[in-house]
Amino acid sequence: MNYYERPTPLQETANAEAMTIFAEHMKQFKTDCENLHNLERNLTTTANDVFKAALQSSGHQIQTDDGDEWQHGIKLMENASLCHRRTVIGLEFAVVETLPLNSGAKKDVVNSGHDAQEVLQAFTRDQRQTFKVWKDDVIEQVRERLAEKYPRQDMSIVTRSFEIKLDRAISQRPTQTQNQSHGVRI
Amino acid sequence: METTPTNEEQQTTIAPPTERLAYSVQEAADMLGVHYFSIYRLIQRGKLKTCRALRGKLLVPRTELLKLLQTDLS
Repeated sequence: MNYYERPTPLQETANAEAMTIFAEHMKQFKTDCENLHNLERNLTTTANDVFKAALQSSGHQIQTDDGDEWQHGIKLMENASLCHRRTVIGLEFAVVETLPLNSGAKKDVVNSGHDAQEVLQAFTRDQRQTFKVWKDDVIEQVRERLAEKYPRQDMSIVTRSFEIKLDRAISQRPTQTQNQSHGVRI
Repeated sequence: METTPTNEEQQTTIAPPTERLAYSVQEAADMLGVHYFSIYRLIQRGKLKTCRALRGKLLVPRTELLKLLQTDLS
C-alpha cells in the first residue's frame, strides 16, 4: 500500500483507537518539543543570563554525584538546569540533570564547558536525539499494538501517520495540508 | 498419619512467579518512580542499555535497572 491511497474504514478505526491509546504520549511529546523549541529560540538570552549569574556567583549550591559543586543558574527542563562555577581558568558552565529515583535524586553533569552558549547548544542537540529515541519507540509500540489487534492487516498507513505527527512536532514545521502529506489524512 | 497442609503452608510452597527479563520504557519508569522521558534520556546518554524483541519497542533488561539502582545506592 502506498501513501497516496486513502485509508480504509478499518484503518480509520485503528487510527482512532491508537490515537486514544497514545494520546498522553502524543500530548507530552508535543509539549516537550515546544519547550525545546523555546529553549532553542532563546538560547543566546539564556546563555547571557547564566553568564551574568555566574559573574555575580549567584544561585544555590548543587553537588553532583561525582562530588563536584556547582551553582544553580537556570532551569532548562523539568529535570535539567544550567549551572556555573568559578575555576582557576575562568567560569565554567554545565548542564546538570537530576534523576529523582525513589531512593534519592541522582545528579549528573551531562556536558560542561567554558562557553555557556556552546554548552546549551550541546544540550539541545542531545535533547533532539532523545526525542528521536522516544519517537522511534512510540512508532514501534503503535505498530505492535496494531499487529496484535489487527493481525494480517496492513496498518502501515496508521503508523506512518503517527510518524508524520511526531516528526512535525520535532521539526515544528507549519501544518501540512492533505496534499502535501501524500494523502495521509488520518 | 498424614496431615493436610494448611492454607499458610500451601502458600509458602508455591514457587514465586518467574521474574521478567526485560521491561518496556513505561514499566521501567514506573519501577524506578520516574517519568518515562527520564528513561529515554538515560537510554540516549548510554546509562541504560536496551534490547529489542525482534523489531519491536525498546526493552530495558532487568539487570540494567538493578545496575542503575546499585550505582544509586553505592
